[in-house]
Amino acid sequence: MDSEKKIYDNPRKVIAEALVDLAKRDDRVVYVSCDSSLGASGGPFNKNFPQRHFEFGIQEQNAMGEAAGLAVSGKIPFIAAYVPFAAFRCFEQIRDDVCKTRLNVNIMGNNCGFSVGPLGPTHVIIEDVGVIGSVPNITIISPADGPQYREAIFKAAELDGPVYLRVHRQEARRIHGDGYSLKIGRADRVLEGDELTIIATSTMVANSIDAALMLKAKGISAEVINMSTLKPLDRDLVLESSSKTKKVVTVEEHSVVNGLGSAVANILATSGPALLKKIGIEDNFAVVGEYDELIDYYGLTAEKIFDKIQDFLHREEDDENSNRL
Amino acid sequence: MEEKKKNRLKKVAAGLRQDIIRMLCLAGSGHPGGALSMTDIFSYLYFGDVLNIDPNKPDKKDRDRLVLSKGHACPILYAALAEKGYFDKSHLKTLRKFGSILQGHPDMNKTPGVDISTGSLGQGLSCAVGMALGARLNGQSLKVFAVIGDGECDEGQIWEAAMAAAHYNLDNLIAIVDKNGLQIDGFTKDVMDTEPLAEKWKAFGWEVATIDGHDYDQIEDSIQKAKNASGRPAVVVAETVKGKGVSFMEGVCEWHGQAPSEEEKEEALKCIGEFKTD
Repeated sequence: MDSEKKIYDNPRKVIAEALVDLAKRDDRVVYVSCDSSLGASGGPFNKNFPQRHFEFGIQEQNAMGEAAGLAVSGKIPFIAAYVPFAAFRCFEQIRDDVCKTRLNVNIMGNNCGFSVGPLGPTHVIIEDVGVIGSVPNITIISPADGPQYREAIFKAAELDGPVYLRVHRQEARRIHGDGYSLKIGRADRVLEGDELTIIATSTMVANSIDAALMLKAKGISAEVINMSTLKPLDRDLVLESSSKTKKVVTVEEHSVVNGLGSAVANILATSGPALLKKIGIEDNFAVVGEYDELIDYYGLTAEKIFDKIQDFLHREEDDENSNRL
Repeated sequence: MEEKKKNRLKKVAAGLRQDIIRMLCLAGSGHPGGALSMTDIFSYLYFGDVLNIDPNKPDKKDRDRLVLSKGHACPILYAALAEKGYFDKSHLKTLRKFGSILQGHPDMNKTPGVDISTGSLGQGLSCAVGMALGARLNGQSLKVFAVIGDGECDEGQIWEAAMAAAHYNLDNLIAIVDKNGLQIDGFTKDVMDTEPLAEKWKAFGWEVATIDGHDYDQIEDSIQKAKNASGRPAVVVAETVKGKGVSFMEGVCEWHGQAPSEEEKEEALKCIGEFKTD
């Protein structure tokens, strides 16, 4: 499409570096892991700050409680585990020990979406935003690129309350510039347009930008919003953009139940006069496959997003979508 | 323990028992059995010069911490905190009421003197392990006490935390198991047998003492030894009587989670009064 050289970042590496930089300037920062950290974001932290790295083995419920205990002792824990174990296994510990108490515990859900497609649905979680989002007091950050991942670490530590950070395994295409500053609760308009609003998160921001450029070639002006905070959602920008375009498409590598699309629908249903199409994964367990196969199978490539948006714009009946809400 | 101190602590315990009965009767619901079983130990911890705490500075940095993992027993915690002066005793009348600072389970953001919120069984010991790790990292010499139930030892997370505490050699952590032998559905040995309980803790790498949880000499001896543990965490398995001090509640399963009526309250206060002069 465009001839500009594209830069990609490995989210795990970006986070690993950011955590070390953060820990250098703030000695309250500690790292809590559950036997899956050294190859993820914990290796460099462990090397630099072995005394501040607490490994709890395959005990996520225990580790989450201990993170809460560390936080009441004045520490700023970052706890990492695969999404199913970070978000689901210890759900009650997150709810009671971390959120009800409003502690500065930062939970990193590694390998969100189809990151580890071949492992199958025990490890491929497409419901985490809905599950974690149902708990009061927690902030959900879902970065799209390297600069956002880096910023998310610093801003999560700064925010005096619990954060759930979704970490994808795929190399992330750079969307934002080096001096990028993330504001929690504020989305970024990454492409301007006035006929259609595309709201996307995580991996789907890059694909949505590509889809929007294809639409542009067809003479359709689409705005793309990178919704990197999923809770609280940037209500103002959703309303501002949708009142201009009157048409909204949400795109997420997540279930269409209780994800980004549902959150946007809640806003539009009460306040915004706009049509909505939710693009995401059906209410189902994921099939097994490699990342690219799954993205294609579930219609989340730029080309398939483009096709779906064209259908939507032609106001074709979309029976699948009408069943979902 | 000196007779004088013992008598003072027994007197305090009787007062705490009376407060528990009065507040539960007013609340109309709650858990007397597992609160009464912990009363002598709480009397010792809070009024026997054990905990380094200051009710005028509830957030004092180097204070000792107490985690009531069996959070439903909070009437004993609230009674002790009120007696200690963390808040006015009149609050005890508001237990479990709308807008009260005394919630159905301990809430650190609502009640002065509560170090961490608890309530869902099995979770508190992990928080205590985190607090002990945090204190060590902070260079603080404080102790973290965690009070857990024997029924609560059914929960797998208790044993995860036990494993982690020993792994990290947390000799600043002291667990107290309220082994009153009963849980909601009956005797613990029938519902889910946790025996041999002391041996299990030993096998997990803890220093273990098994005591009569109503004998002040044994309470003092075991807690002091636990405070001096070196290189590993210590647990006091306190054999107690659920409902202790109120004869018609003692060892009766139904008094796990049922408030006394007005008449039962009067009878209970009479029992406690008699016990006090013992």
